[in-house]
Amino acid sequence: MKIKLTVNGQKREVDVKPHTRLLDLLREDLGLTGTKEGCGKGECGACTVIMNNKVVASCLVLAPQADGAEIQTVEGLGDKEKLHPIQQSFIETGAVQCGFCIPGMIMSSKKLLDDNINPGDEEIKRGLSGNICRCTGYVKIVDAVKEASHKMQSGGEDNV
Amino acid sequence: MKKQSKNANNRPKTSGEDFNSYFRPQTKEGLMQVLRDYEDALTVIAGGTDLLVEHYNNLYKVDRWLDLNWVSEFKEIKIYDDKVEIGSMVTHERLYKLDKIKELFPVIQQAAADVGSPQIRSRGTIGGNIVTSSPAGDLLPPLLVYNAKLKLISKDGERIVDANEFFTGPKKNVLKKGEIVEKIILPLRDEMYRGAWVKVGKRKALVISSISLAFNIVFDEDKKIKESRICVGSAAPTPLRIKKAEDELLAKKINNVNIEEIAQIVSDKISPIDDIRGTAKYRRQVAFNITKSALNEVINQ
Repeated sequence: MKIKLTVNGQKREVDVKPHTRLLDLLREDLGLTGTKEGCGKGECGACTVIMNNKVVASCLVLAPQADGAEIQTVEGLGDKEKLHPIQQSFIETGAVQCGFCIPGMIMSSKKLLDDNINPGDEEIKRGLSGNICRCTGYVKIVDAVKEASHKMQSGGEDNV
Repeated sequence: MKKQSKNANNRPKTSGEDFNSYFRPQTKEGLMQVLRDYEDALTVIAGGTDLLVEHYNNLYKVDRWLDLNWVSEFKEIKIYDDKVEIGSMVTHERLYKLDKIKELFPVIQQAAADVGSPQIRSRGTIGGNIVTSSPAGDLLPPLLVYNAKLKLISKDGERIVDANEFFTGPKKNVLKKGEIVEKIILPLRDEMYRGAWVKVGKRKALVISSISLAFNIVFDEDKKIKESRICVGSAAPTPLRIKKAEDELLAKKINNVNIEEIAQIVSDKISPIDDIRGTAKYRRQVAFNITKSALNEVINQ
């Protein structure tokens, strides 16, 4: 079956099976491999994307359920020349080690900061509670989100 | 027999073939048409946060998906003078963010906030939680303490089932083939009522509860306890009401309640098992402790 969706602002049309996962559609049909598969059970958050302004585990969404949806993945945030302030902050604070969980972390952070530009520690922890990192102790990840919050508040629209 | 395989290479991943086996009715009427046409051969999916985990783990063959996510009526929350109706496809995220739910059914609001993670709450639904019927389902004890009723529909008609009678065992319930939960009906009380919710697990987030407890206590004009509901999750094959403890509270003022005695009854009456999330002994001890803290919470409210 054919579905239409908007991915990072671009309109796409894809042939899918009913049981194709949104994750597979993104990675295999559209080649957007920034979104990772960790557990495939909705527990680790590596596959987190923003769908219709909500964070979802893309391994637990059937592709046909994304018909007509607006999807944001990590590829839509910034590029090598001009990183998104969240991406820049993750680098600057040393929040990235192996990096596997980071696309998911970044997307959860994006949603968190979109809803609340100045989150407190507890709000950050709750916002990232669906994302597991096995390298760090999360301290630097929380720092990264705070740094991103500063950047996005002081940088204005241009940086966001 | 369903075949189980953990070989990821077997995962169906080829996109591009044409399929006619995914139904997404937009209205209740459209849903009824699909039920009439394919009643026996449908795999019903709500939020998918449980179902798809099992589906991809076991690679079940699905001939026809019926996706309830598009049925607009199922996403509605309606507030009447004497009741609130919550559509089965209302997500945990909506339940915990809605002020009206927080005001009228705080135990449901708190339990919804404790479900999984942001990624799970955005997709998982109250109807899915009910139909999955896990003894650990976070919304189930709260629904029982508020005397919820469930409206079930099928091609043959509809019926109302008391949530208290819906669950029959772990992942088992009275739902018949071809029956769908349309909405949850919660009666509104005129009297003052106070509730509490406690969930204990190995982590704070993304955890299946080791044990959970919901309380709702209704008071009469003299502030005596007129009705009480106590329900424990993850401590029996189904969410379990502790009737003896409920009765013990009746007609007393909350300050005169012997908290230790109630906690002991709850601890004695559950039938927990040893499993990955805790031993039976641990669960009995925790049941005692959280009953005490929940009662104290009600007293201090």
